[in-house]
Amino acid sequence: MGPLLAIASNTYREAIRNKVLYSIVLFALLIILVGNFLADISLHNDKRVLFDVGIGLLSTFGLILSVFTGTSLIYKEIDRKTIYLILTKPVGRAQFLFGKMLGLVGSVYLVLALMFVLLVAQSAIMGSGFHPNLFKAVLLIFFEVIIIISITTLFSSFSTPFITGMLTFGIIVIGRLLPDLKQIIIVKYQADSMRELADRLLQVFPQLYLFVPNGHDFNGQYVSITAEFVTWGYIGWTALYAIMYSAIILLIAAMVFRRRDLT
Amino acid sequence: MKRDTDRESPLVITDLKKAFRTGFFKTRKINAVQGLSFSLEKGEIFGLLGPNGAGKTTTLKMVTGLIFPDAGSVSVFGKPASTVSSRRKMGFLPENPWFYDYLTAREFLTMAAGIFSIDRKVAKERIETLLNQLGIAHAADLPMRKYSKGMLQRAGLAQALINDPDLVIMDEPLSGLDPIGRRELREIILALKKRGKTVLFSSHILSDVEEICDRVAIVARGKVREIGTIDSLLNMGISGAELEVKGDEEAILTLAGELGLSTTRSMTGYRVGLPSNTRIQEILGRFMEAGIQILELKRHRHSLESIFVERSEKAQEEA
Repeated sequence: MGPLLAIASNTYREAIRNKVLYSIVLFALLIILVGNFLADISLHNDKRVLFDVGIGLLSTFGLILSVFTGTSLIYKEIDRKTIYLILTKPVGRAQFLFGKMLGLVGSVYLVLALMFVLLVAQSAIMGSGFHPNLFKAVLLIFFEVIIIISITTLFSSFSTPFITGMLTFGIIVIGRLLPDLKQIIIVKYQADSMRELADRLLQVFPQLYLFVPNGHDFNGQYVSITAEFVTWGYIGWTALYAIMYSAIILLIAAMVFRRRDLT
Repeated sequence: MKRDTDRESPLVITDLKKAFRTGFFKTRKINAVQGLSFSLEKGEIFGLLGPNGAGKTTTLKMVTGLIFPDAGSVSVFGKPASTVSSRRKMGFLPENPWFYDYLTAREFLTMAAGIFSIDRKVAKERIETLLNQLGIAHAADLPMRKYSKGMLQRAGLAQALINDPDLVIMDEPLSGLDPIGRRELREIILALKKRGKTVLFSSHILSDVEEICDRVAIVARGKVREIGTIDSLLNMGISGAELEVKGDEEAILTLAGELGLSTTRSMTGYRVGLPSNTRIQEILGRFMEAGIQILELKRHRHSLESIFVERSEKAQEEA
């Protein structure tokens, strides 16, 4: 565990000292803005607006932070040659990637947790109280962050930050819109074989829509964090999915990175 | 038998080859290392000497597992260099070490100790010792972005020594340092040798290599062109010696003529050129018998620089 923890804690430290915490200030401003203005003009729906917009902001910040800090995760180490001081010590390349990923996940989680506290605080100020669904929604965001960071780790292990950013962004869009894309395929292709092929291709992409069920018809049921939301069983399955998907992505990243010459 | 030797030797490199492909379509092939072989003996300081582009850094990167050979093998204390465990007893200082500039030297060393899974208490003591030994204790809690080149080099050496390695590898450790810094680093390298450590370093600063290395390998165009102790290299191909004599001019010239030796006039008398080592005793005896005073006998030795330049130029011509 020594090398893994050392690398993870260093990555965490880098992200935190890299001023990612400043994003909390922006979040605070936005949440105050929502609480004081948007909720006011929402005609008795102030609680719902605060929760919906607050969780939406958390999700967006989670994605932005993951992509922006993750794009240069490995590239920067190679470009600045700091990797020479790490991989020449008894640490495996897969261990290095996993440590980097863990550190980044930890730092994004810290920021998101602080943002969540701000949201709860704003809710308390407005007298809306704490809704348990908020906690479930935040957990789903946390799971999605794991997947996004594993994807940036994979791309960052062999490409530049720009390409990593573009590819990850593309995957996020596809992953979030998968149900709509499947619908388009059903309408577009009449042949079952083509539908099956397209469906299988889409299965390769992360099912990110699972982590943002708020306001969507989910399994024929309308869910909302202010009303009926997903069950704990659902939370458990999505957690498992996120971990399994990230593990596979990380395995691919390790295979790509294993024999890469670090010139 | 060979395996036993390999296991004992800190480093054995056998017929190592590495080529890089460059250009947009990766069509241009550059053979950086072309069948390089040498091995280290325990407790020696070994210098890898060569001009820029000779393949020194590429070789060291293959030893430390940063890049992978196309052919050949590298074994560190009997373990293939591609394995994680081969780096357990090794310390590496890269050329111009780059650090995480947001970290202090103490934080970086703590992280390095963590990678080696060194016990916290032991690590703390070792970090303090290294910081003091290398003269950066005063700046240990400053972010390393504020360090000078010399301080970065010291921090780099500290991290290379954090695991008390048996084999210390340094890539151009002396380049860019001022004379005082170079002298201090030389002393550190010699102190490592005294503690039984094996040191391998690359350099093109000949005077430093000559001063501290037990053995050197001259590398050019990816091959070892010459290898041996400093003395054996300097004595190699000695073309003869020179005798400074004083006495009767006619006797000197006659005797030199008889022995087939060349003479030139000098400030004090005559300089007599001796073509080979084999006849020195005989010639000295003849001059002394003739009552000619011998002032000095000087052997012609190559300088490391001349060998270095000659081998590098030869490699260039071959290419």
